[in-house]
Amino acid sequence: MPPAEPLAAVPTDAALIAAWQGGDEQAAAELVRRHARALARFLGARASGGGGGRGGGGDADVDDLVQETFIRAFRALGRFRGQCRFRTWLMTIGGNVLKDAYRRVRRARVVPLAEELRDTDGDPHEHAVAGETEARLADGLGRLPRMQREVFLLRAQQGLEYEEIAAALGTTPGAARVHFHHAVKRLKEQLA
Amino acid sequence: MTDDELEQLAQRLGARAAERLDVEATARAVVERLRAERTRGERIGISVPRQWLRIAAALVIAVGGGALALRITGRFHPRSAPVTAAGADLDGLSADQLHRVLDAVDQPAGDIMVSAQDVSLDDLNTVELRALLESLEG
Repeated sequence: MPPAEPLAAVPTDAALIAAWQGGDEQAAAELVRRHARALARFLGARASGGGGGRGGGGDADVDDLVQETFIRAFRALGRFRGQCRFRTWLMTIGGNVLKDAYRRVRRARVVPLAEELRDTDGDPHEHAVAGETEARLADGLGRLPRMQREVFLLRAQQGLEYEEIAAALGTTPGAARVHFHHAVKRLKEQLA
Repeated sequence: MTDDELEQLAQRLGARAAERLDVEATARAVVERLRAERTRGERIGISVPRQWLRIAAALVIAVGGGALALRITGRFHPRSAPVTAAGADLDGLSADQLHRVLDAVDQPAGDIMVSAQDVSLDDLNTVELRALLESLEG
């Protein structure tokens, strides 16, 4: 039996970062391809109610938020020391991007961002039923303190370990665990 | 609702936004913006140290504040006049007059000293410091 073809080596995030810093634009594009959807999911969850607290709004959409997050991340790559995974680091930057977007929106007083992001495709009744609980969860997320919200989403939505979350948010794993449990308790009360 | 149900619900949040995202278009847009910034000479991947911003802002405030204070007190104006005149027509001045002009230039600007230590910027973050610099630069 002939030896199996070796799998094409998949470059690590670190290798792509180094390549980008050496001037390889395709490395930057690959990093975007690799992490954009996860980032969009994270930002979409927060923007649909859990982004900047109660109310908020704006004309930004998730695509713009994702793009802006990557731009800021590439600008700040010099500060990334591998303390956590690149994706986790992106999420924390995305959180700041979203916070800034809400701040701008609050000043402009325009259509709520959550309204902008609400999905209008498909069967309205189905969406109404399926979306009601999600909407309440999103609303509950919006009422959480920022740290609880970040920890909850990174843990429950992104499936990260407490050590990873703690490194990204500059706290301890124990504190992250406490934030998560407080968030779960309050969200359950919200959804009861 | 159990913990698992809550986590499953959380995983659905933002799923539609992620599905709708045009990843290739996003990648292209990001690369184009990065390229444009590089073309403009901006240093992608190398951030300006926050301390440098503080020092630059302190210097701008110190110099600007000093100039403003001198203008308000009128101390700067009388000395600046002969320098301007000398610059305009130095050939017509005698040696004594030139000495006086040089003395006037060498004099300390006045009693009012504005030190960077008088300026507290510790409470400003990077964004605020940038905004301050931009506002001072007009």
